[in-house]
Amino acid sequence: MKEFVLYTGCTAPVRLPAYEAAVKAVLDKMGIKLIDMKGANCCGAQYVESVNRHAFAAMSGRILALSEKYGHDILAICGACSGSLKWVKHELDEDWKLRDEVNALLADEGLEYTGKTQVKHLLQIFHEDIGYDAIKAAIVKPYSGIRLAAHYGCHVTRPYDIVRVDDPENPTIIDRLIEIAGGTPVDYTGKTRCCGGPMLAMDQSLAVKIGLDKIRNIRNEKADGIVTACVFCDIQLTQVQFGEGVGEKERIPVLTLPQFLGPALGISPAKLGISFNKISPSKILAGVMEV
Amino acid sequence: MSETAHEPRNKIAHEPKSTFSQEIAAQPGGEYIRKCIQCGLCTASCMVANYTDKYRPRKMVQKILIGEREEVLSSELPWLCMTCRLCEERCQEGVSLAEIFHVVRDIAAREGHIPKVFKDTVNLVMKDGWLLKGSYTDFEQDDRTSLGLDPDLNWNEEFMKKVKARYFGKEPVEGGEQE
Ligand code: SF4
Ligand code: SF4
Repeated sequence: MKEFVLYTGCTAPVRLPAYEAAVKAVLDKMGIKLIDMKGANCCGAQYVESVNRHAFAAMSGRILALSEKYGHDILAICGACSGSLKWVKHELDEDWKLRDEVNALLADEGLEYTGKTQVKHLLQIFHEDIGYDAIKAAIVKPYSGIRLAAHYGCHVTRPYDIVRVDDPENPTIIDRLIEIAGGTPVDYTGKTRCCGGPMLAMDQSLAVKIGLDKIRNIRNEKADGIVTACVFCDIQLTQVQFGEGVGEKERIPVLTLPQFLGPALGISPAKLGISFNKISPSKILAGVMEV
Repeated sequence: MSETAHEPRNKIAHEPKSTFSQEIAAQPGGEYIRKCIQCGLCTASCMVANYTDKYRPRKMVQKILIGEREEVLSSELPWLCMTCRLCEERCQEGVSLAEIFHVVRDIAAREGHIPKVFKDTVNLVMKDGWLLKGSYTDFEQDDRTSLGLDPDLNWNEEFMKKVKARYFGKEPVEGGEQE
């Protein structure tokens, strides 16, 4: 049985706990064991990352060092965290001066970064560690006639040379999984564009415009729902549909990838936290479970 | 054809106002600025540029190249980049705008130009060790319990004190206001 240490990041446990629960339920079903990382800290994405490269390396570096103590590779479920951890790992593997500096800060806790563990985003676990065939074999209640738009998340897929998840211009993992679960993946304009989430700090109305641009493009393809693989993207693409300009009936449900896969694998809605979703995905799930 | 065929007939009398682009190029991630050919593909592919006229990544690179150091460092514009890196998938010269703007932010921060929201968030995370301590109430704890998740999030607050002392001194992170 493969084991990973789960780094949830700051946001998922508070703002999107259903995602965390669904990740655990689905990976458990697929034979992946997860251990919660205890005593972690923020990875430093965006904010510390922007003002001090060394402090950022120390923050993500500590999380990497903690995973070495657990003796397992890291599973990150947020795009910002997986991007940061992979980026800092790359820096610490290249820049030995920086590594020494980070290790000096970690020493009195008995932690050390040596580079022996890897960081994986959830999409990689599905693609590389479980594999499409095993998922296909585990589908017990396939969807049918449901059109879904995949949103991958910028920091999940770029920069490719560092994150190595999927083709950054033409990503396919979520689309393949939608297909395997019996849904119809739909293509849409601007699929690899940003959700606008990182703009929330500086300019909220601009962030909403960018998010709604994506929602409009998805609506143009008459999708029944959106499938995400990042905490921030999921929250942003949901939240922008509650402002002006989107009628209640027009809202497109947003599901995290494990919440979408779970029902097809026979996992109950309660375990997947479906009732926590702000836009009810009942239409999508109607065929596969009682909601 | 001789080697000199591509040289301009008349030497162009253009000197950057400062060595800002060299300063950027000397830092990790900034080196590719030398390769920018000012084609504008980045601006064309940028969603921020698409929705606000004030943000033009190509133009910002141009300002750096012509040496407008103060203008760039005191502006909020480098902080508007979402680091989505869509532009760098498109740039044929391998320039990473996200990296260049990170280098710009790093220098700006050292000189006291940090937008308030960045400053406040950095100070918060230095204090709490994570971002959402203040939002984690009984309500969210109950949600976690009902989902079968551990309500004790177990964040470490001590390490950030060391990070703060090492990189930001004892005082909260200060920054000048942006224009
Ligand atoms: S796309 Fe690349 S080469 Fe063209 S202007 Fe932008 S950074 Fe410069
Ligand atoms: S990385 Fe920055 S400049 Fe490039 S497309 Fe994204 S927001 Fe625009």
